[in-house]
Amino acid sequence: MHILVVEDDSVLSDGLARVLGAHGMAVDVVNDGVQADLLLQRPDAAEVVVLDIGLPGLDGFEVVRRLRARGSRIPVLLLTARDAIEDRVRGLETGADDYLVKPFAAAELVARLRALARRHGAPPAVLAMGHLTLDCATRRARVGGRVVELSLREWTVLEYLLQHGARVVSKQQIIDAILPWGDDLTLNAVEVYISRLRGKIAGAGVAIRTIRGFGYMLEPAP
Amino acid sequence: MSSIRLRLLKWLIGPILLINLAGGVLAYKLAALPAASAQAPAPSAAELRRHEQLRLAVLRALVFMEVVFAIASIGLIWFSVGNGLRPLHRLRADLDAREADELAPLDPARVPSELEPVVAAFNGLLEKVSDGARARQDFLANVAHQLRTPLAGLKTQLEWLQVRHAEPETAQSVQLMQAATERMIRQTNQLLALARAEPHHFEKARLEPLALDALVGATIQLFVEQAVRKGIDLGFDLLPAPVTGDRFLLRDLVDNLIDNALRYTPAGGTVTVSCGPADDGTFFRVEDNGPGIPAARRADIFSRYVRLDETSHGSGLGLAIVRDIARVHGARLTVGDAAGGPGVAFTVTFP
Repeated sequence: MHILVVEDDSVLSDGLARVLGAHGMAVDVVNDGVQADLLLQRPDAAEVVVLDIGLPGLDGFEVVRRLRARGSRIPVLLLTARDAIEDRVRGLETGADDYLVKPFAAAELVARLRALARRHGAPPAVLAMGHLTLDCATRRARVGGRVVELSLREWTVLEYLLQHGARVVSKQQIIDAILPWGDDLTLNAVEVYISRLRGKIAGAGVAIRTIRGFGYMLEPAP
Repeated sequence: MSSIRLRLLKWLIGPILLINLAGGVLAYKLAALPAASAQAPAPSAAELRRHEQLRLAVLRALVFMEVVFAIASIGLIWFSVGNGLRPLHRLRADLDAREADELAPLDPARVPSELEPVVAAFNGLLEKVSDGARARQDFLANVAHQLRTPLAGLKTQLEWLQVRHAEPETAQSVQLMQAATERMIRQTNQLLALARAEPHHFEKARLEPLALDALVGATIQLFVEQAVRKGIDLGFDLLPAPVTGDRFLLRDLVDNLIDNALRYTPAGGTVTVSCGPADDGTFFRVEDNGPGIPAARRADIFSRYVRLDETSHGSGLGLAIVRDIARVHGARLTVGDAAGGPGVAFTVTFP
């Protein structure tokens, strides 16, 4: 994935380049708004833009405004040091797709960049964690080399959990993912699917942790 | 009555007039007695004795009345002065009831005219103090905002260093630096949250109908990770909880209460976050089975910079932030025992 980082603080922009690079992303860094605006006039400048608001030259808002005025749909994630509501709302109204308040965890930034790229591009063909892989094209789940038989609903639940990586998802979110048309499904049914999945993915180096009264999250298991 | 003088006189005018009138009547009676006796041609010895007795009786009555009047006057003056000074007591009670950061001006309409210049001067001072406090808060918020970018840089660089499997000693050093950075970030965010919850920063326009249960659901990721690291069983019981409030402030409130519970609950403990309808509104509760807070110390914990346990890392601002946010939302914040056993339950009840 090709990322353009626009940030004037050299310690932060250098750190972002290193961290994103370590996650297998190709990173370009520019330090001011004018340069960013010039660079973004090329259609292949980046797949996702990480844009600071407080930039010398042109500020982040203006860079996004010009980008959208040219009709570009490149996803933009704004970085802001201020968390005043005006900044957030203004950023999203101007045409940014997401924002993150400094300081943030690198994992959070990576997850959001992937989510932005996913929304704008084709979904990934394979989801993986530990020894567990889900091939979304063939709907086949594997633990190591072994194929795991999953019912359609079990597949949907596991796919939904994997799409969220190590993030907590609520039972209601899972129900909505299984039944997008609002059919009735009890919370107990979700518990049944989860307990069957736990049995089927045992030994995959991935465990489903229960968050009491709320939902579930995937985590690495020994 | 808006003047101390009038308040004093109100109770004195009547009795003084009465005393004067009674004294006048008595004096008139007393003067008439010898004149009456002079008209008689030859007062007998018996008549003279009677006159003497009468005069003595009148004198005794007069002395008795004077004593009664004197005592009554002292009582009246005592009462009147007390009554006249009552506005001062009210002023003192008003000031005593204030929190350290309540710097609103005193109401000059509620004090007698003699005190108006004093109250005006006092209000002038309060205004200067509150301007100073505001400037200090703005400065703090500004500094905290400025710190965020370098902190983000530091954090990102350290995160990159951490994943490069360095030799153990370097790895440990990096870990310590990361912990220190996290503490600085937390303090910075606390300063900002505190500035945001200040009544003069609070904007009624930002109030909107919100689902508290959804708001809590959206903040839990970090806390689940924190709880897993500390080995605490963090659970939820979230029923529909509609409130009217400021989204960002309520998030600060939720964050600070959960963070506080995770911080003071030992490994293996339980923290439960719940919300839902209450008898008189909507409640949000965070309950733990940690060591609890002695009843005597419960009043202290909401003041700024108070920490019950000097060994834990925290600014001591968390609960002060919670208190300020509850206050500007007109919500009630209570500390109680956790259901069944030790531990503490913080409950915020929204109207």
